[in-house]
Parts: sequence; C-alpha cells; structure tokens
Amino acid sequence: MRLELQKITKQFPGVLANDRISISVDKGQVLGLLGENGAGKTTLMNILSGLYRPDSGKILIDGKERVFRDPAQAIEAGIGMVHQHFMLVPVFDVTESVVLGNEPTKGPLGSFDRAAARAQVVELSKKHGLHVDPDAKIESLPVGVRQRVEILKALYRKSDILVLDEPSAVLTPQETEELFEIIRGLAKGGTSIIFITHKLNEVIAVADKITVLRRGAVAGETTPKKATSAKLAEMMVGREVQLTVDRSRAKAARTILDVDRLRVLNDEGKLVVDDVSFEVKSGEILAVAGVQGNGQTELVEALTGLRATDSGTIVLDGVDLTNVSPRKVATAGVAHIPEDRNRDGMVKGMTVAENFILNSYHLPPFSSGGVLNRREIALAAERAVKDFDVRTPSIDTDIANLSGGNQQKVIVAREFSRGVKLVIAAQPTRGLDVGSIEYIHKRIVEQRDAGAAVLIVSTELDEVLALGDRVAVMYEGRIVGILDSKQATRERVGLLMGGIQK
Amino acid sequence: MSAKSAKSIRKGNVTTSKASNKRTQVAPDGLSVEAQKGKARARVRAFVFSVFAVLSGVMASGIWGVDGKFSFWVDKVGGTEVSFTINVGLIWLALTLVFAVMAVRQFFNGAAFRWRRAIGLAAPLLVFGLLARLLDGTTANLTVFLTNTLSFAIPVGIGAIAGIVAERSGFLNIAVEGKLLVGALVGSVVSSITGVAFLGPIGGAISGALISLFLAILGLRYKVDQIIAGTVINIGAVGITSVIFQRILQPYREFNNPVNIDPIRIPLLSDIPVIGPILFSLSPYFYIALALVLFFTYMIFKTRWGLRLRSSGELPSAAGTVGVDVIKLRYRAMLIAGLLAGFAGTFISLGGTGGFAENSSAGKGFIALAAVIFGAWNPIYAFGAALTFGMASSAASLLAGLGVKFPPQILGSVPYVVTIIVVAGLIGRVRGPASAGQPYDQG
Amino acid sequence: MSTMRKIGRALKLPALSMFVAFLVGGVFIFLTDVEMLKQLTSNPLGAVGAGLGRVGAAYGALLRGAFGDPATYGDALASGGDVRVWTRAVRPLVESVVASVPLIFVGLGVSVAFRTGIFNIGGAGQFAIGALGGTTAALLFGAGVTPAPVAIVMIMLFGIAGGALWAFIPGFLKARVGASEVITTIMLNSIASQLIFFVVMNSEFIQQEQRLQPVSKELSKYVDIPGILPIEALRLDIAFPIALLTAVAVSYFLFRSTKGFELRTAGLNLAAAKYAGIGASSSIITAMLISGGISGLGGALVVVGMAKQLAPGVEGSVGFTAIAIALVGRTRPSGVVATALVFGFLQQGGRLMQIETIIPIQMLLFVQALVIAFIAAPDLTMQILKNPFRGLSRRSPNSKLKGVS
Repeated sequence: MRLELQKITKQFPGVLANDRISISVDKGQVLGLLGENGAGKTTLMNILSGLYRPDSGKILIDGKERVFRDPAQAIEAGIGMVHQHFMLVPVFDVTESVVLGNEPTKGPLGSFDRAAARAQVVELSKKHGLHVDPDAKIESLPVGVRQRVEILKALYRKSDILVLDEPSAVLTPQETEELFEIIRGLAKGGTSIIFITHKLNEVIAVADKITVLRRGAVAGETTPKKATSAKLAEMMVGREVQLTVDRSRAKAARTILDVDRLRVLNDEGKLVVDDVSFEVKSGEILAVAGVQGNGQTELVEALTGLRATDSGTIVLDGVDLTNVSPRKVATAGVAHIPEDRNRDGMVKGMTVAENFILNSYHLPPFSSGGVLNRREIALAAERAVKDFDVRTPSIDTDIANLSGGNQQKVIVAREFSRGVKLVIAAQPTRGLDVGSIEYIHKRIVEQRDAGAAVLIVSTELDEVLALGDRVAVMYEGRIVGILDSKQATRERVGLLMGGIQK
Repeated sequence: MSAKSAKSIRKGNVTTSKASNKRTQVAPDGLSVEAQKGKARARVRAFVFSVFAVLSGVMASGIWGVDGKFSFWVDKVGGTEVSFTINVGLIWLALTLVFAVMAVRQFFNGAAFRWRRAIGLAAPLLVFGLLARLLDGTTANLTVFLTNTLSFAIPVGIGAIAGIVAERSGFLNIAVEGKLLVGALVGSVVSSITGVAFLGPIGGAISGALISLFLAILGLRYKVDQIIAGTVINIGAVGITSVIFQRILQPYREFNNPVNIDPIRIPLLSDIPVIGPILFSLSPYFYIALALVLFFTYMIFKTRWGLRLRSSGELPSAAGTVGVDVIKLRYRAMLIAGLLAGFAGTFISLGGTGGFAENSSAGKGFIALAAVIFGAWNPIYAFGAALTFGMASSAASLLAGLGVKFPPQILGSVPYVVTIIVVAGLIGRVRGPASAGQPYDQG
Repeated sequence: MSTMRKIGRALKLPALSMFVAFLVGGVFIFLTDVEMLKQLTSNPLGAVGAGLGRVGAAYGALLRGAFGDPATYGDALASGGDVRVWTRAVRPLVESVVASVPLIFVGLGVSVAFRTGIFNIGGAGQFAIGALGGTTAALLFGAGVTPAPVAIVMIMLFGIAGGALWAFIPGFLKARVGASEVITTIMLNSIASQLIFFVVMNSEFIQQEQRLQPVSKELSKYVDIPGILPIEALRLDIAFPIALLTAVAVSYFLFRSTKGFELRTAGLNLAAAKYAGIGASSSIITAMLISGGISGLGGALVVVGMAKQLAPGVEGSVGFTAIAIALVGRTRPSGVVATALVFGFLQQGGRLMQIETIIPIQMLLFVQALVIAFIAAPDLTMQILKNPFRGLSRRSPNSKLKGVS
C-alpha cells in the first residue's frame, strides 16, 4: 500500500513539533526517516498510530484520506507499529503476545484457540523468516527476539505499512544486521516500511528513499545512491550556528576529572557505557555530544554516584569517586545539573528555599545538630534568587509554580553556590526559553573562568559547539572522537553522532 | 510527574525496583539474579520442610500409641454417629514422611517443585495431627468440623475470586470486606421482602456490583488512589449497613427474616455412608462456589477475555496499543468482582444464620485478600487457601466446643501471619499483576 | 488579610467536602426513615415534611451533643457562678475534646507516614498494641511500685515502643524486600486485635481477677492519670495537652529538622531524594517508627486514662477515622488537630443523636467515607454541588485534559 502524509502540522504548547511535514512511502519501499532528537519523528509517528491527531494535514492510504481517532483504527487501516519500548507482557508467551487483541476463539465462552493461534504464529514466522519459539515466555527472550515478536504482532494484524521507531537502539550490531535482513525480506514481500533512526549508515544500508527531518520540518529528500554520509549529516544537523557564547579561550591547567576505562550497565543489564576514558581539566569545558540514548545518561549517573559502575575508575582531583554515594560526590565538590529536572533536580511541593538546600540541608550553616536553621536558609536563598535572577514571588513559593527557566535557575544556583571543582551539566537548557538559555550558558562559562572543570552533556549540537572547548562524541556507549573546538565542525560532529568515523 | 512518582512509592517497590546499586545482572554461574533468588528461596523452603519433618518425627515418637478419636455422621447430619480410633502417632508418622519427601524434592528440584500443591496435601494432615494431639482422647465429630470449614471457606473463597478478577485487570481491590457486608445486608432484605429464596443472593450480588461500580468510578474516572477508594468503600459499608440495620432491620424484624438457603441433599449420592453427609448434603453455595472456582480459572487462563484481562493487569499499554479498551475492560472486571463479592456476602446472612447481623463479615474480606495472595492470584489455589484458613478457624471452634483449652486466637491469626510471610517473599515469591493499583491513561 | 485568604482557600475543599458529605448523609437518613416511607403513599407531603424534620432533629441533636444544649447554658448563665450547673452545661463540650484525643494521636501518626509516601493503614493495630504496652506498664509500675509520675512516663514509653514495634514490621519489610505496606498493615491490624483478645483471655497478669470476661484488670486501681480541669466530673486528662504537644513536636520535626526534611523529600519525589543523597530505606523505617510510636502513645494514654481497661476492640474505628483526618487535614499537624477536633465533636454529638433520634452513631462512618471520597476526588464534589445527577454520569469535565506522555 502507498502511504502519504500531506503537510502534517502539530503544535504543542510552546513547540511546533511538526511543521507541514510531507512524506510518502510506496508499496514494498523502505523509507528511512532520519533526524536528530527533537526533529519531530516521534510526534509524527504518534500521529500515524492514532495516538495524536494532527492540527492540519492529511493522511492518505492508497490515495484515500483516512482519519485515525484511536490506535485501533490505525491498526485496522493496516499500519503496524514497532515501538522503541516494546509493548509486550513479560509473563505471556510468544503466541499470546502476538495475537493479543485479535485472538482466534472457539466455543461459547470465547475460549482462546491456542492451537490455531500457535499455528498462525508458526506459519507467519516461517513465511517471513522471523525465527521465534512460539511457546517461549517473553521475559526469557533476548531483546532482539522480542523485537521480532513485535514485528510478528504487526504482521499478524495484516499490516501493510510497518513503522519501526529507532529499532536498532536496543540491538547488538549482529542483531541489527539480522533486522535489516528481515526488513529487506518484508519489503520484497510488498510491505511498505518506515524506518526511523538517527544513524546515517543504517539508512544508507537499508532504505530505498531517505527523508531527513530537522526542527519539525522536512530538511530534504534523497536516495542512498545519491546521498553521502557527509551530506546527510549536514541535512540532519543543519548548517547555521545560532548560539554563540561570548567567551575567551580556555586556560586549561591541571586535570580535575579523570575517567578511566569506565563501563556501566543500564537497568536491563545491557552495557551502555563501553570502555570510556577521558579527562577534564580545570578551566575547560568538555562538551559531550550525541543523540539521546547513546549512554550519556548512564555516564552522568555513574559519575554522580546514582548508578553503580561495572568496571573502571572515576577520580576527582586525586580522590577516587568510583561507586561512592551521591552525597560523597557532592561534598567532594561536584555540581550536578541533572538531565531531567522534574524527576531528579527538584521537589515539587516544596518551596524555592527548600529546593535551594536540597542537597546541602545537612551541612552548616543550613542546619546544626539535626535542626534546620531557617534564617540562614532564607538569607542564602534570598541571595541566590537575587544573584541568579530567579523570578519568583518569594522564596516560600512552591517551585512547581515557577516557569521552567526559573526552576532551572534555582537548580543552577543551588549547585553553583557550593565550592565547585567540577560542574556536570546534563541537558542544562532543555526546554527553556532563549533568555534563560543564554543566562545559564553565561553562568556555566563563569564557572569555567573561575577555574572549575566543566562537563556538559547535550544532545543539542548548537549548545555543544557553542560551549565546548573540546567536544567528545558518544555513539553506542563509546566515545568515538574527542575534537578540539577548532576541529569540531558541525559536519564532523554530525558524522560522528550518526556513527560514521573517518 | 511528581504525583506519579509519589504514587510509585506508595505502590510498594521503593527500594527493590531497579535499585541503582545492582552491580551485575548475571552471576558467574550464568543464572539471572531472579533465578538465583528463586534458588535461595527454594533452599529456605527445603530447610523449613525438613524442620517440620524432624518436629513431626519427634511428635510421632512422643505420642505413639495415644488414641485419636474421630466420629462421622453416617446417614445424615445429626443422625447416627460412628466413631473410629486411630493411633495419633500414625498421623504424625505420615506427616514426617510427607515433609521429608517435600524437603528432599524441594532441595533437588529447586524452584521447579510445586510446593503449593504439596502444602495442600500436608496442611489437612497437619491440622488433623494437631487436633488429635490436642483432643487427647476426646471424640471429635469430623462432619461438623468439615461443615464449619466450608462455611468459612465459601465467603472467603468467592470473595477471593472477586479480588483475583479485579486485580488481574489492574485494580487493587481491598474493598472485598465492604462488599461482603453490603451483600449480606441486601441479600437478607431482598429475601425477606420477596420471600423468594433465590432472589436474596441475586439482590446481594447486584448490590455488590453497584458498590464496585462506585469504586471503579472513583479509581478509574477520578483517578483516586485505589487504596483510598477501597478504604472509602470499607468504611462506608460499615456505616451504611449499621444504620440500616439499627434503623430498619431491628425495629421491623420482617425485613430481616430471610428465607434461609439450607443445605440440599443430592439424591442418591447423599445416601452414601460417611461421604454422603460430608460431600453431598451441603449448602448449594458450596457447589456454586466450586463451579465458580472452576469457571473463573478457565475464564482467566483459557479464554480471550482472560488473556486481555491479564494483559491489562500486567502491562496495560500492551493491550491499549493493540486496540483493547483497557478502561472499559477494568470497569467490567470491577462489575464482575462486585457481583461475586456481593454474592459471597449473602452466604453470611442466608447460609444458615437466619439473617443479617452487624459487622457480620468479621474480617472475612481481608482474609479473602490473604487467600488471593497466598493463592498467587489463581482461583483454585486461592480456594485451597480459603479451605486451609477455614480448617484453622473450625479447628479453633471445635476445640473450644469440646472444652479443650487452646486459645482460638492463635489459629485465628494463621491467615494473617501466613500472608505477611508470603508477601515478605521469605518462602516463595508471589508475583501479582504488575500494574495493579496504577491508573492508566488511555491516549 | 492575605493570610486570612490563604487559610480560607485551604479550608475551602475540606469545608465543602464536609458540607456535601453531611448533605448526602441527610438524604441517607431521610431515605432510611421507615415512618416516612410508610406514609408516603397516603400523605406524601406530610411524610416528606416529617421526614425532613427528623433529619433536622438528628443534626440538631448532633450539634447539641457536641457543644452542649443552649438551654443548659442559659441555666448556667442564670445561675451565676453555680459550678454544678456550669459543669453540666459544658460537659458535652469537654467530652467532645476527650473523644478527639485518640483521633489526634493516630491522625498525626498516619500523617507522618503519608508525608513520607507510605500508606500506613495500620494505625488501628499500632494504637491497639500501644494500648497493650500502656496496660502492661500500668500493671508493672503502677499501684505504688514506682512514684506516679514515673509510672506515667513508663506507660507512655511502653505505648510508644508497642506502636513503633507494630509499625517497624511493615516498614522493615517494605524497605528490605519491597513488601506492600498496605497488605502487611491490614494483616497486622487483624493480628493485633487477635493478640489483644488473646492476652485479656489468657494472661493472668493482664486479665481481670475473676477471669470471667475478656477484659483487663481495672487500670484505675493502678495508675491515676491526672486530669487538667479542676472539676472531677469533667474528665479531660493530660493526654490532651500531650496530644497537642505531640502535634507541635511533629510539626517541628517535619518542617524544622533535617530528618523531617529528608522524609518529606522522599515522600514527594523519591528520585530527587536519591539525587540529594537521602536513603530511601532509612527514611521508610524512620517514618514508620515515628508513625507507629505516636499512634501507640495515643493507645497507651487513652486506655489507661479514659477507657481504664483494656478490652478487645479498644481501637474501635480510630484507624479508619485517622485516615480521613489525615486526608482532610492535608497531613499538616495543625490541620490534623483541627480536623480531629471536628471529628471528635461529631463523634460526641453522634452519641446524643443516637440516644434522641435512634439514628446510629455509625452514620458518621458513612459521612467520613464520603468526606474521604470528596477530598480525594475534588472534581466529584464540584459536580455534585453543581448538578447532583451528573457527578456519576458519563463524562467528566476533565476527561479532555488527560495528559499523553
């Protein structure tokens, strides 16, 4: 079937997520949808799967307009989704997982016709070369096989259009290669495929046609034959530099942070930080670039004591900080601006002042003998609010009532108000307005100039290029290159982010 | 977001869920952490069983030759009594053997050993052994003992099915107690007014469904924490039933004079000596309960409805993304749970006590929760748990009736203590529906 | 002015919830009025009028029972300074305060756990075991074994220890193995009542001398908890000021101490607590120990000072009511005290209502359940106020606002 999206537009409060996006995929074709984080891929997919409805624009299937009110209608129209986070019940077996929602039944009670279901699953998996044991429990299967189950789910529903969202994110290179085989086979059988990714070599390897999204709009269309990695990278990350930070050159001195051969596992036990070594000197900013989900989150968690390391060492100014508590990390002189401020960085329901002392409440002058010193807290909080230009009615206001920019300023104020040797800032400006972004950048550079070592982790290429004295790029858990700011061009960094090394 | 995280604490798995300090998931011998824990628990069970075996052995040798006297009614309840005597030591010897076999098999088969079933065999023996020991020569009528066991197990067992259906759909159902109470009251009133025996249970069931619907609306539409919502029902039920009882049923006895649902004698079968009176002259509730247990076990594990129900309780987004209407499914499950719990409640007022009494659910709804957990959210196992709890309770009343000095509170606490041990995961992990208690937002 | 407005806003939802709950309660009384129903066909208007009148009479009795009768106040005023008449006039008022004392304790205890994000519904069991501890201490240290003040201190300590122990079990299990505190506290409530029954039946030390009934010895023979009012007939004892002091202490602990800061952080956002270096396990166990300790202290003081005898069912419905109080009082110590006083007045008033109008006091449980429901689902309250029949019908106004993450 031919699927066409015409001028799809979707506005969220403050963000134009999809701006007149038009894409199309023909029967048996593989469309590679390439884009950075926040380029609008996920929103587009949610529109396609019936979770969101577009503000304007049309969805055409074989030339006929379709409107999806819920996922069931999208499924009925022949669109099958393979979500990045698998929608599989861990305690079900493969057969049950595949047929859930469209189960064959028999008898008056609606008995689940297991034999029939199993036969269909076996037949489908044979037909498409998707090898799975129909009786295996999902929780006992490796992720690569779980993904096959997800694909079988879509095929079982007679999907003619298969959408795969970052399907290789959870796979090993070998599993990815197998996935490509499957995709090629399905396309040959007439299934239309939309393959969403940020990995350049993947689209080149598997797509028939490539559409690149940037900042919610289509940045270009091409084919693997015509495209080069360099060109794709440029389309994906753009050319213009928007952010500039007024700053002098770094005067890098002694090493503050020394990370050696660090390995970290994620919650599922997968190796996501793989043999990473780097150092950050006092008076310099090392910016870590990379698309979300390439191990940066776990790297920061390991550095700040929130996640145990598997092996390797973390040394701060001669002190071993490997696998110590977050409190030890903080008292050793590390300021941590967390990636998800709503989750980790602040406590909604508490006041600005209370959030200001979130990780120093136990230290003098904020408390002594287990009793909080309210006057000192108020004084320090008032001072911080003034120093960091936090717009709040008072320090006793619930932080939940502040704007995102002001919330982040409270966090920055808290972290920079302690003796700081190392700043770890993860996505420090995500979701903020321009004014706040500039302000926070300025304060970070100030910290560097005052002699702190600064580690910034950001998926925003502009931010990385504007701030980094050196730029490290993470890809699939490894640091694939560390560039000096002069060498760090958009193109080179973009290529590295997409997994192409020269 | 913050409200959600606050909820997640409430849910219970604060420290264990994805604790950040898990070093490695896979141990040197290639077993996952979970499998290792399972193995450890299997060892703990093996140890517990061997301790029981040794204790039973000591008991057997200590009282070898002491007579345990039991009696049955041969022809009908209250009819000719036939008693028999058994060497109590023999019972304990049998127990020693059973526990020894369990310990050995548990040790060598590890987590694969079906220990719940084995306990099902050992528990009655243990109860009889203890009884015989405590009775110390007094004759105990087992027909009465078994009937009492069943009277306890019927409301608890059916209430447990109600809990299972709700929780399998993802709704944490701590309100079984309240629904039992309301069902008992309404059943009695409807039966009294209409004078038609079978309308009582039906009325009670419907009242339970209505209460359950209110609970579902609070939890699913208004997203009230399901525990708070359940608490509302439990308190409210005590209030409503007490007021109606004192204002209407007490002064106007005609509203609390129901047609009792008496035991029925199944023709021919009930004439079989000994087992006839025990198995085939029982309250119709018992046969219905058995049918419900089998029916719902089949429905939950063998039908399309059950598959969707379980997926909704485990990972509702998995069901939602393939087009299952999770919210509607949960509403329906709550209605069914309400029907069941209300029906179970009617046994309390119609099953032979001659009407409703205040607070007559007497914590049976909470014991039903215990049976749900002990039975691992499986109706058959849960009913087995209800029977075991019932034996403990009727053993207490049997002993009291015979004047044996043994505090009934110890036996009365058995279900609660056992549940805490099970929830603590000491002897075996029970895995409930993963998403029970969490609200679900449909796209 | 602005603080007044703030208080007003804070009171709005609880006040509205109480109001609607009593409204619905009134409808319930009206509908269960058999006299009214009987005459409904023959004389509908008269029946409804009489029925409504009886609802009014019930609530009138409730108020008089809680605050005292205006007529006796009048007599008292007229009598000038006659102590006996005055005593009679204010006795309902004092008794209402007495009734609120256990509610303050358990409400505070439950609130500390709620603040930490733990749903401790074991207040009843912790209260009961505290009462057992207090009884034990009274029998051990009372009757002149130690000086009276020492005995009273021991009673309090034993009560705290009992309640804390009963709360430690679920706290430990939750912190260590993630066992749901909801299930464990429910089970421990039942075990506690079995245990009380057991000791008052079987313990020679505790059971009354004749050993006829399941009650303990007369505790007033061992310890006399001093009253705080100069007139003996008004039986308000030091438990009340201790309850108020406890509230102050809890408030100070929660909002002024570092440990309290940790508990509140863990309760609001566990991820942020970890980020701030606050241990989840220790927060849970600490919160439960404090929570249970406070409920246990209440149990000890109430059983020794007011009930004067340990008997099965000593906890009554205090566990349920405490949950309502914690929710209505927004888990703030000041709110909890205020709400507990209101509920205490209701309970006392309910006794007169039961005597005068034969409407059972359990009616208040129904009202409490509604209050909890309305507080937990504010949308429902608003809808019932706007249109009583829409609240439970198909669409809720906020259904469109459901967030998609």
